[in-house]
Amino acid sequence: MSTRHGLLALLSRGPRYGYQLRVEFEASTGATWPLNIGQVYTTLSRLERDGLVKPGESDEQGRVVYTITAAGREEMARWFSTPVVPSDRPRDELVIKLAMAVAAKEVDVSEVIHKQRTATMRALQRLTRAKRAATDGVAQRLVLDSMIFQAEAEQRWLDHCEAVLTEER
Amino acid sequence: MTVVRLAEVARVHGEGAAAVHALKCVNLEVDAGELVAVMGPSGSGKSTLLNLAGGLDRPTSGMVHIGEQDLATLRDLAALRRRRVGYVFQDLNLITSLTVVENVMLPRELDGVRSRRARQEAMAVLAEIDVADLADRFPGELSGGQRQRVAIARALVGERRLLLADEPTGALDTRTGDEILQTLRARCDAGAAVLLVTHEPRYAAWADRVVFLRDGMIADTTDVSLVSAR
Repeated sequence: MSTRHGLLALLSRGPRYGYQLRVEFEASTGATWPLNIGQVYTTLSRLERDGLVKPGESDEQGRVVYTITAAGREEMARWFSTPVVPSDRPRDELVIKLAMAVAAKEVDVSEVIHKQRTATMRALQRLTRAKRAATDGVAQRLVLDSMIFQAEAEQRWLDHCEAVLTEER
Repeated sequence: MTVVRLAEVARVHGEGAAAVHALKCVNLEVDAGELVAVMGPSGSGKSTLLNLAGGLDRPTSGMVHIGEQDLATLRDLAALRRRRVGYVFQDLNLITSLTVVENVMLPRELDGVRSRRARQEAMAVLAEIDVADLADRFPGELSGGQRQRVAIARALVGERRLLLADEPTGALDTRTGDEILQTLRARCDAGAAVLLVTHEPRYAAWADRVVFLRDGMIADTTDVSLVSAR
């Protein structure tokens, strides 16, 4: 997840304070990836170092408004026009666990699949309830949809593993 | 209130060496207001379970109750099915030569309800599902999602409170499928009991409880931790 580009995208809609950025970031992703204010300021100072945003004068409360620069807009456009590379994703513990379970003869693989499938289905039920309760607009629903599709893919993969292993036996 | 109850239900097709144990000792209850999803690979007994729960088939052993009624003691299963149970299938739910409202009226007219009242009941359930404006259209003029919603209306017209749905989202895209589940969920929240067979995890996730069938037995269910999580 790119906090850096997320903040640039928010700033492209107009100048904002650090705190505002945090609130808007969380609102548009449905609080799925909470950001702490420290992360926001660290990211802003890096963006400033790279010439992608520039700070204004601080107001009487000591707040600083940040504005996106022309270079910042270019960087944001580049981000939106570039697909995400799969190798950016972290290693999947479940896939490793299952591969190891199959290799280690004394582990009951079907039991591993079983437990995981029930757990994943519960997660899917929670996400579906969250989606039904989602009222913060379409961006939030689409974030939840993404997680639903991912959980669903995991579930299908587990079914597939079970079917393949049954044949192999 | 339990709407349908299966107690130690088994179903064997054929005899002797050729016997197929489609279902083995299944216990399952669905309460009013509850949506239960059944998942499992093909051949795991999903359809057999649905047929037994709706009185389309009789168990080899064990008991099936719909409401207070023990299906084993009942001679006229067809009458009970008509009055108490609604079905929604993947396809071919509606009669193409009848309008939407006529399709929904049909089960009530078969029950002996007069046409005028049957029409009122049909319009009421169509309104509940937000498709009252489609009443005078023919099924061929509807989208796949609209047809399934009308099928749900027909399954629940009159006093039916048990709905059995077999892959009702079959050929629909995910957004339309979500709308169908939204409709089923709303009918549950209004007091219906729904037993849904699906192979799609995303739709099963709308249920209060998901039951996994494996080789004719319930291998797992999600209910325990959901109750404690509430």
